[in-house]
Amino acid sequence: MSTSREDFGIAVRSALLKKGARQKFSLFFLFIISTIIFFLDFYNVKGIKLTKNLISDGLYRVSNIATSPFKLFTYTKEGASDLIFTYKENKLLKDEIERLRKEEFQVEYLTNQNDNLKKILESDTNTLSESTLAKVLIDKNSPFLKSIIINRGSSSGIAKGMPVLDGNYLVGRIVEVNFLSSRVLLLNDLNSRIPVTFGEKSNQAILTGKGGRDPAMEYLPETYEAEPNISVFTSGKDGVLIPGLPIGKTIVEEKSIKVKLFSDPNQLSFVTVQLTDAKKENF
Amino acid sequence: MAILFKNFRLNILNLGPLILLYYISISEIDTYFSNFFEILSFNLQIAIIYYWMLKNQSVIGNGHIFLAGIINDVVMGLPLGLSSISYLTVSFVASYVRNVTVNISLFTDWFTFILAIFFSNLVLVIFIYNFSQIKLEYTDIFYNAFFTFLFYPAVWGIFNFYSKMMVLKHDD
Repeated sequence: MSTSREDFGIAVRSALLKKGARQKFSLFFLFIISTIIFFLDFYNVKGIKLTKNLISDGLYRVSNIATSPFKLFTYTKEGASDLIFTYKENKLLKDEIERLRKEEFQVEYLTNQNDNLKKILESDTNTLSESTLAKVLIDKNSPFLKSIIINRGSSSGIAKGMPVLDGNYLVGRIVEVNFLSSRVLLLNDLNSRIPVTFGEKSNQAILTGKGGRDPAMEYLPETYEAEPNISVFTSGKDGVLIPGLPIGKTIVEEKSIKVKLFSDPNQLSFVTVQLTDAKKENF
Repeated sequence: MAILFKNFRLNILNLGPLILLYYISISEIDTYFSNFFEILSFNLQIAIIYYWMLKNQSVIGNGHIFLAGIINDVVMGLPLGLSSISYLTVSFVASYVRNVTVNISLFTDWFTFILAIFFSNLVLVIFIYNFSQIKLEYTDIFYNAFFTFLFYPAVWGIFNFYSKMMVLKHDD
């Protein structure tokens, strides 16, 4: 019994401490270093934040270059298909549809919000202001976290909490800002919470990411009866997001009400960041 | 010249697994196939580390595993050092299994891989739940672990074939 325990101890010690001729560091040493780095990052130590920002800016660009052959393949494929389907006509039609959709949302939103409009306009939230176009550098699809990296950072006036749009549709908000790049938390991420409004009665709810493709609505009014195909907009109640940004349409499922997003979070190549006054970090 | 070219080719071949590990950590290459099946995802990095730490530790060193983890954290937006701890746990389990086993076969590798997946995910979950504001779904982690385990024989087969092309140095 004691022999087997000793054997176990020897094997563990050997695995942790043995370096080998070609290894510079033992596992134990690297465990300690990793843990120290983790806690330095957790306690947001001054130097580590700056170092992390610099590393992030560099790595995001390297990652973008490393993935460019695959991107080139995708772009070529898309370009060829556009040519086949009469590129110009298609684009014109798309623009026309987009314009009409925007108008439709505006009308729907104004009708639904008629009673509350005065309140919203009187609140101290921002209206559509300046924006900056950004390219998506990294769009790594993870089963746990749903986020993208864009090529604009604090040098372009970006701050935490700013809304990010794809065309006219909200896709997420800024959660990490480096000097030359930023991370956007997408609406379907498990950590995303957005106050929204929808329906004729201007119902209020919180749009919560579930990790899957479609986020769900939570904190709905008790008397609310689920209806499919209702447009959902931002309510601006958090004081950071602009009210009236279209998000998606409701889908009624057995136990929950989900929202089918207007913009596919997996297909983003360029996004717009609304440069609102996002000093309050209400997220 | 021919010898030089041959040596260069062999060096590149020997660096293959390491390059793959770094490339998967740094690039946008996904191992999450939600378009085909919503829960289908696997952690290729863990499989690479486990296989090569069992087979020959000189191919992927612990220092590289640590660096790949740091890169993965930056790209994925995880707290710095978290993936390194998780990957080093896999390396630790592999080193332990290597110390206590004599024969290496697909089945012994595959079933001891459960331990590596379990401990690496356990460490990840403990650190995230106690020291981070990130929320994770237990079910997502379970599916990821399950498919990583399920696909391991395929990874094992590919690397086994690949290792026959390499000229491996004697391990310590």
